[in-house]
Amino acid sequence: MKQHKPYNLLNKAEPYLWILPSVILMAIFIIVPIGFVFRMAFSQVTKAGLVKGFCGFANFSKVLQGAKFGMVLKNTIIWTILVVVLSTVLGFILALLLNNEFKGRKIARAIVVFPWATTLVIQASVWKFIINTDYGALNTLLKSLGIIQQNVNWTPTPEAFFGWEIACGIFVTIPFVCFTALSGLQSIDASYYEAATVDGASYFQKLWNITLPLVKPSLTVATVLNIIYVFNSFPIVWTITKGDPASRTDTLVTYLYKLAFYNGKQGEAAAVSVIGFLILLVCASVYMVSTLKKGDE
Amino acid sequence: MKKIIAMLLVLSMALALAACGGSAAPAATEAPKADAPAATSAPAAPAADGKVTVTMIAAQYGPKTGDWWVDFEQKFEAANDGIDLVVDCVSWNDIYTVVNTRIANGQAPDLLNIDVFADYQADGLLLPAEDWCSAETYAKFYQAFLDQSVVDGVVWAVPDLASARAMYYNKDILAEAGVEVPTTWEELTAACKTIKEKCPDIYPWGIDMTTDEGQAAFAYYTWGNGGGFVDDNGEWILNCAENVAAVEYAVGLVKDGLTNSDPANNTRYDLQDLFCAGKLAMMIAPNALSAQAGEAGVNYGFAAIPNNSGTSVSAGVMDRIMCFDNGQSAEQMAAITAVVDAFYDDEPYSEWVLMEGFLPATSAGGEACAAADPAMGAWIDIVGSAKFYPTAKAEWADVKQGVIDVEQQALLGEDVQTLLDNLQAEIAG
Repeated sequence: MKQHKPYNLLNKAEPYLWILPSVILMAIFIIVPIGFVFRMAFSQVTKAGLVKGFCGFANFSKVLQGAKFGMVLKNTIIWTILVVVLSTVLGFILALLLNNEFKGRKIARAIVVFPWATTLVIQASVWKFIINTDYGALNTLLKSLGIIQQNVNWTPTPEAFFGWEIACGIFVTIPFVCFTALSGLQSIDASYYEAATVDGASYFQKLWNITLPLVKPSLTVATVLNIIYVFNSFPIVWTITKGDPASRTDTLVTYLYKLAFYNGKQGEAAAVSVIGFLILLVCASVYMVSTLKKGDE
Repeated sequence: MKKIIAMLLVLSMALALAACGGSAAPAATEAPKADAPAATSAPAAPAADGKVTVTMIAAQYGPKTGDWWVDFEQKFEAANDGIDLVVDCVSWNDIYTVVNTRIANGQAPDLLNIDVFADYQADGLLLPAEDWCSAETYAKFYQAFLDQSVVDGVVWAVPDLASARAMYYNKDILAEAGVEVPTTWEELTAACKTIKEKCPDIYPWGIDMTTDEGQAAFAYYTWGNGGGFVDDNGEWILNCAENVAAVEYAVGLVKDGLTNSDPANNTRYDLQDLFCAGKLAMMIAPNALSAQAGEAGVNYGFAAIPNNSGTSVSAGVMDRIMCFDNGQSAEQMAAITAVVDAFYDDEPYSEWVLMEGFLPATSAGGEACAAADPAMGAWIDIVGSAKFYPTAKAEWADVKQGVIDVEQQALLGEDVQTLLDNLQAEIAG
């Protein structure tokens, strides 16, 4: 037995050694930068980017006392909830449609991927062009169809602008939800539906009692990832409005970008980043724990 | 055996990664000590072949900038055998991040071409211009330009180029509406109303109050009303009565429907596109619009910016070259001076300014540019009398964003006086 001890030890250590490179890569590219952001958030940073030493919670208190932080946080929550919820609902419906057998299904699936496969900046630029008052595609189309005679200003208020940004966010997020849900749908054994049909279950009864519970794990993963992606999304808001006018369409990410690179307040920007990180951590954890618990029950 | 080999490979990979991380990551945030910036930055070190290296970061003004600097490097090194010049040409989108990262890494360049300098000066990172700029080159600059880079009586940077703003107008639209080129606010309002009435598909006046350049709109109207950012003593006067009236006037033009539809989101580039498409009658723009409008076939003219105080003021924008205090030796300082002298030599400098489509910062450059392009002469006169943003003041970044915010909130219906009072209190205490 004694001769086998080193071999056993090696055997036990082997899995850990295999994941070691990933752990090291994560440490370097994720944990270390997060550590530096935390350090910066608690430091006095000059406009030239020099870290001048520990300043406690000074950056946090400046950010929290700022007149705009509350509004920006509210915008971020509205942006995240609307984009995640609506894209999940629409993406799931689209997945149900694409899960049916019909002619041209492969082409339809390929088309759904397009918004996801295109760079967000390009997507947002296209949306900005479509809704432009003076030379936008929407006005041109409606005029050529004779529906309108004069150009319509589709973005007369900051709220309208924000609404278009949310619409763009939903449009680019749907494909991800759709394909995650589709993968879940395809793994459901057809015999469940056959049995339910024999028992006389309606379409919605099957959807509610078979499809949804079995797709739930896929949708949970998609939702958690979406909360993180959408909360941290920068290109759409930045390309369309840069958070203007007067931060009415800013989210935390565009707000902190302006703080860091337009106002030169990198310490405060890092503090906003830490606040966002903590909010995400709590939201994602609560959602994940509650969903998985329900699943276990 | 295979398992042992595989594990050895994993271990070696892990160690290699750990080694990479260990050397690179912590250095990225090491800051030079406040009291000894010179000791922590990378000096212009002698190159391996015994040459003195001068490093420079240059702003990329246009598509030809990078090639021009490569050519300049080659010619300079051919003429100066003992100097290795290394120029990194960086786009405006990235330059602030690149410079700040290099400073934080203790790798500040010797020379930097950028627009702002006050933040670097405030951290004690710069050398006075007279330490690295020869008397001959120093004497070439317009004094008004040098004055923009003075802090505590010392010039910390020298100008590399400038641009000035004037009012562009579409001659055909003005003729169709039967209005003269406006010179005062009263005439401007009347002209806009007439254009709106006679040419309903045309925007009479262009205003950009975006995050991109809203501070320029603040400057045009407040300077044109006898106000501005600072008084004669350099104290902030953001909430003076002239400024309040000026912002109210500009916002009034928007609310009366005499301007582009969304000044908080239409950038100057959007307005220039509208002007070149013949959809905008008048706007304030830099001299670069001449080329764009000419190419688009617009029958344009330019004139002084309309004002309400009897004196038209043009807004000038100026970029700079500065030298970081990297603890250079006398030999290295001489090499830096040689680079600066070569850049401002009349021939290459004029060629560079003309190529970039801006206005020269030296009198000799001005003469050369005026000779090469007669239209440039009028602009050189305009820039000579232009006012500049108070970029030498440490609060400038906050003021710039602050006035843009005031304009955008005023567009949403907030009270201008209250907004400017709040900004003044925030900036000046």
